Amino acid sequence: MEFFKQATPEERKIYYREEWDVNQVPNFILGQLENREFGFDHFGRGPNDRYKTFNSPEYLKRFMRSKTPFAAYCSVAFYEKPRKREGWMHAELVFDVDAKDIPIRTCNCDNVCEICLNEAKEIVGNIIDTLKSDLGLKNIHLSYSGRGYHIRVLDESVMEMDSDVRSQVLKYVVGADVPNDKYENRGQIYTLRPYSIPFGYPKVFTDRIKYSILHLTKDSKIEGISKNLLNKTLENRKFIEENQWGDFLNKLDPNHPKTGARNYNKLINSIASLNMSLVDGKVSIDLKRILRLPSSLHSKVSMRCTEVKNIDTFDPFKDAVPKFVWERKD
Amino acid sequence: MSFINPLSDEGKQIVREDGGDLDRIFDENDDIIDAVNSITAQEISDDAYIPKSYVDLVIKRVEWYVDKKSDPKYNHKKYAFLFYPEIAKFDVIAFYILCQAIGIKYGPNSRESRAVSELQGQIIENRLEELYERDRLEIVDKIMNILIVQDRIKWTSLADLLSSKKINLQDLVLKDGNVILDREDFMEYFKDVVKLQQPERMYNVFIGNRIKELIMIKMIMQNTENYIKNVHEIAGREVEPNATLLKIAEEVADALSKEIRYYGGGDSGGEVKASPLNIEKFPPCIRKSLDGIKSGGRNEVIVLFLTPFLSYARLYPSVFSRNTTLKVSDVDADLKITQNEILPMIYDAADRCSPPLFDDQPQEKININAKLGFGMNDNLNLQHEGETTWYTPMSCEKVKLNMPNLCRPDKTCKGITNPLSYYNRKMREK
Repeated sequence: MEFFKQATPEERKIYYREEWDVNQVPNFILGQLENREFGFDHFGRGPNDRYKTFNSPEYLKRFMRSKTPFAAYCSVAFYEKPRKREGWMHAELVFDVDAKDIPIRTCNCDNVCEICLNEAKEIVGNIIDTLKSDLGLKNIHLSYSGRGYHIRVLDESVMEMDSDVRSQVLKYVVGADVPNDKYENRGQIYTLRPYSIPFGYPKVFTDRIKYSILHLTKDSKIEGISKNLLNKTLENRKFIEENQWGDFLNKLDPNHPKTGARNYNKLINSIASLNMSLVDGKVSIDLKRILRLPSSLHSKVSMRCTEVKNIDTFDPFKDAVPKFVWERKD
Repeated sequence: MSFINPLSDEGKQIVREDGGDLDRIFDENDDIIDAVNSITAQEISDDAYIPKSYVDLVIKRVEWYVDKKSDPKYNHKKYAFLFYPEIAKFDVIAFYILCQAIGIKYGPNSRESRAVSELQGQIIENRLEELYERDRLEIVDKIMNILIVQDRIKWTSLADLLSSKKINLQDLVLKDGNVILDREDFMEYFKDVVKLQQPERMYNVFIGNRIKELIMIKMIMQNTENYIKNVHEIAGREVEPNATLLKIAEEVADALSKEIRYYGGGDSGGEVKASPLNIEKFPPCIRKSLDGIKSGGRNEVIVLFLTPFLSYARLYPSVFSRNTTLKVSDVDADLKITQNEILPMIYDAADRCSPPLFDDQPQEKININAKLGFGMNDNLNLQHEGETTWYTPMSCEKVKLNMPNLCRPDKTCKGITNPLSYYNRKMREK
């Protein structure tokens, strides 16, 4: 049986009429259905049927059953008048991790596969962990999008925040900026590399950089990193695995006290910018984005976009494959 | 302590003991005059530089805020008295008079209320600068200890500080959503994980004084706003508001409106001042945007590029050289210029796009409002101002990255890093 094959119109009909249930739409959406804008893609050319609203789950159910859309979306924003997209109230804070677009993947697949989906899951786990432990955010929901994951934060304290602050949160959780390493205290300047600070953003940054370095392959192409530096990094990354960052630095730049840690800095800077693309930044800063509706079908890959209750036990190949896929003859 | 935080117990005590008689606050007060005269840094060449009464002191505080922000000929010595503790007692009372007047007359969501909170923040910043490093650290620590005990700081309460980029989220030490500033909190959370360094030293180095100061100032500004709100609510229950305070509130509003005059038509020291837009002086990228975008990226060009450029070019062209953040209403108090001149130009450009931008994306009008600082709202409403930041014009580097098709440099573009600087340079050439 072949995964990730596009669903036929007949299969969509089977899915929405026999398998889909409006109660699979998570409560964080059904609870305030009337304030969300819905969008639909009926022909597989993008969501051009927008500004839809549903006053009750029953209307949504009837619509899905009769239209059996190619894809269904709902807004992250809440509006007083969602049909006109007027009276913006607030919006979920969202992180979109698409396995297909992860810049460092250990697999070489063209689309998505078990390996990169697992890597996406790992990244998602790290982000959620930081959102909870550092940023103290609650009411965090996760859904499998069909080719990756959507982290959706409905904590009231962040829902009114503007794009600038959202972008800072994004950079924080993915480790997209190299932390300052010069600190001033009572007129004296101290130099502290991020790995020697085991708390706050430097700790998050060190963890993210570690993740990325450990997922590099000899074929990785990273702007600013030569083949030579990549090889040197791969040869010595065992030190990072054991958190021996000082030794790693010494190997990369043996003469660093005199000549500066050129290779190390180059590597850290390049990976920091690359970390930014672990998550689709545009989604996070957009205050009125529409996202795939959990429970709906991702017809391009014949997978169900579904709410993930437990990230540790969630297996997309078990939990997000619609019945019709298992019943396919080919 | 009350000189930095008038809302402290010490400050409240001063008001209880010395600030009781509202009928006499217009009277000439020899103690105030003597205190100001005793400050050696104070310029006393002109009698008008010396506040004579509590109300005078209130107005001087506002004038300082307005002059410093917008008068190119700002003279610090004229206001030196505001930064020396000799006037502390009188200043605390003036602070309360100011907040009460604004609270009663204009309420917590007014432009005046925002100005008073900002004014207080800036006064504190300047007062701290006058202190010796050791005294400064000590006082900030003392005040923070009290403020933190009263209220733990969530990073989410600093959204506007983060949005203004005065603080970066990454510079804060966060644990469970709280900003760790207190030594004991730091030790409790991180003592066991700090292995390579002394935890005590790590605390001193990492929890920067600047962060502490900024947060302290922000908390006092927030408390000032809360106090104004409180006054407003109490006043709402009274049959007749206090006439003296209403009169002072009007004088404060008058003093604040001087700022608009500076931008609207005053001399700005050779810099380009707010004046009607001159399309001929626009850089090529802006002229191209005004013709409408025929390919992709309409939203970006109209909302992110044209909106900030046109609004700043019309209202506050010297934003980069002055390095002071303003709101649209600081320059265009009734928003008439914005409504009648700026928005129509943006909307025209949007209509010239292919397809016209608002035909299929009418919500972009809300985005334009957001970029002008009025939040995600349908209309420009002063009550919503400040919910978002008034976006400054995008740099040439960003234009090249995001909208490479727009960048067709001419010879004036050489050495220019922002389209607004191009406009300013051309306007100066005349």
